Amino acid sequence: MKHQTLKLKVKKQMIWYSFLIVSILTLLILTYIPMLTTIKYSFHDVEVLGYGDSRFVGMQNYKTIMSNASFLKSTANTLLLAAMSLISIPIGFILATLINNVHWRKLQSFFRVGFYFPNIITGVSVVLIFQVVLKANGGLLNNALSFLTGQKVSIGWLTDSHYSRFGATILNVWSTLGYNMLINLASLQSIPGEIYEAAEVDGANAFKRWIYITIPQMTSCFVFLFITSIINGLARFTDLFIIGGNTPIGRPGGTLQTILMYIYQFSFETPRYGIASAGAMILFLLTFGVTMVNLKITGFFKEK
Amino acid sequence: MKSRKIKRVLLAVILAVLLVIILIPLLWCVSLSFDRKALNALPQFSLVPHEPSMFNYKVVFNTIPLFRYYANTIFVTAVHTFLAVFFALACGYAFAKGNFAGKKFWFIFMLAVMMIPFESRMIPLYLQYKQWGLLDTYAPLLLGACAYVYGIFFARQNIGAIPDSLRESAYIDGASEWKIFFEIVIPLSKPLIATLSILQILSNWNSYLWPLVVIKSQKKQVISVGVSLFNAQQGEIYYGPRMAVAVISAIPLTIMFLLLQKHIVQSIAVSGMKQ
Repeated sequence: MKHQTLKLKVKKQMIWYSFLIVSILTLLILTYIPMLTTIKYSFHDVEVLGYGDSRFVGMQNYKTIMSNASFLKSTANTLLLAAMSLISIPIGFILATLINNVHWRKLQSFFRVGFYFPNIITGVSVVLIFQVVLKANGGLLNNALSFLTGQKVSIGWLTDSHYSRFGATILNVWSTLGYNMLINLASLQSIPGEIYEAAEVDGANAFKRWIYITIPQMTSCFVFLFITSIINGLARFTDLFIIGGNTPIGRPGGTLQTILMYIYQFSFETPRYGIASAGAMILFLLTFGVTMVNLKITGFFKEK
Repeated sequence: MKSRKIKRVLLAVILAVLLVIILIPLLWCVSLSFDRKALNALPQFSLVPHEPSMFNYKVVFNTIPLFRYYANTIFVTAVHTFLAVFFALACGYAFAKGNFAGKKFWFIFMLAVMMIPFESRMIPLYLQYKQWGLLDTYAPLLLGACAYVYGIFFARQNIGAIPDSLRESAYIDGASEWKIFFEIVIPLSKPLIATLSILQILSNWNSYLWPLVVIKSQKKQVISVGVSLFNAQQGEIYYGPRMAVAVISAIPLTIMFLLLQKHIVQSIAVSGMKQ
């Protein structure tokens, strides 16, 4: 009798595992093992796999990469570009505040959908469009600037290395603004109305309410957007790769090479897997650090 | 009272002007794509083509296999989305309602993956597929779908909200867990399925780096990579054709967005908030 209930129990467990097993195996084979392999490669001298033997070299790859000027430059580029892209969050917040104050509901949802729309446009299309919009001669932005300043402006926003980071940021802000607006708006609309009513009774004007109530209430939303934006920024690749004419060297003048583009260059163009893996580990540690800070701020560890 | 009304109208006007400014690049792009004059010189800004024609589109369709790219991308997106959502629901169900040894361990096992960005395991993954002889097939693009970690997390929360009484009565009728999953959980999870599918479709249609790495032959390529290769080959000129491919590759998601706008905006807002 007891034996049978045990059997039944095991069978029940097996049924639950049948729901999980595919995902577990997938994660094991396609996530955990490759991740551990990256760690391993980063300590080995791996040139081209299968040719010659790889040997343990300790921290050598890390030393090489950390003293490599172009890796350091790509790290600086990545951080700088990620920081510049953050401007999209306050703009998104102001936009969300304006939309939230639109009196007519239908119009409000029209603006919400309309401003979100650029975020749907495929990444590749965005680059193609902005290569024309930001063009030095005849581009839309320079035309607008010429009109506003009364002088002829011909800045190569994506082709001149002095301006390329600004150009890349304009492109990025254009495509992420809608997302930042949307998340800000959802968060704004979840602030309980009573807080405002109480403040209104106390005689606080709209601006004061915005500064003293709205902004503090939005902190967790800002943290979320900040972290998401930084994590996306650390892994930035596609748009800058296409701007560089499908090369990972970060044209113009290496100003747009990110860490991931550097890794790509030393994995798939001139394979030096040891070096590339050390780069991948540094990228991982940066992302991991940011995620940890995020979990700590949002109190994830306290919950459990 | 009157000043209040003026303020309201003013705000709406300001937002409308901003919206037009933001959308102008898109409108100009569409106009250029239909402009015969934009073939190899950039004409003056105009929202109406100077010389309306389909010529740029003809050039594009004659140069690259766009229909092929389309079909490939739709295939990959559809299969990836189906696998990802199905297994996310299955795992979500087990974690929400199941009672088995190691539940907590496996949940953390899956959650921890959120901290391992794809980029940091890309090189060994590529070499693994190379060893298995699966490069230049769709296996590398599709197999990863069988563990959609964010979806699992999201599904667990949603399925957890389904009342247990429904399951219990099915139990009494002798239904198995899988039967309950198919006949009760899935039909009750339609909003969840819609949200996860939308997120999957958006990210698949835009995926770039991984197909660039694993797909080598042109006829198997997905649209994002195919279009960017075309763009790089054309160099600086051929504005019209480049705008035409930009329009063509943006059309499917645009149509989907116009049809499902409310639901998409809702999905993004919800997924953003709960992450």
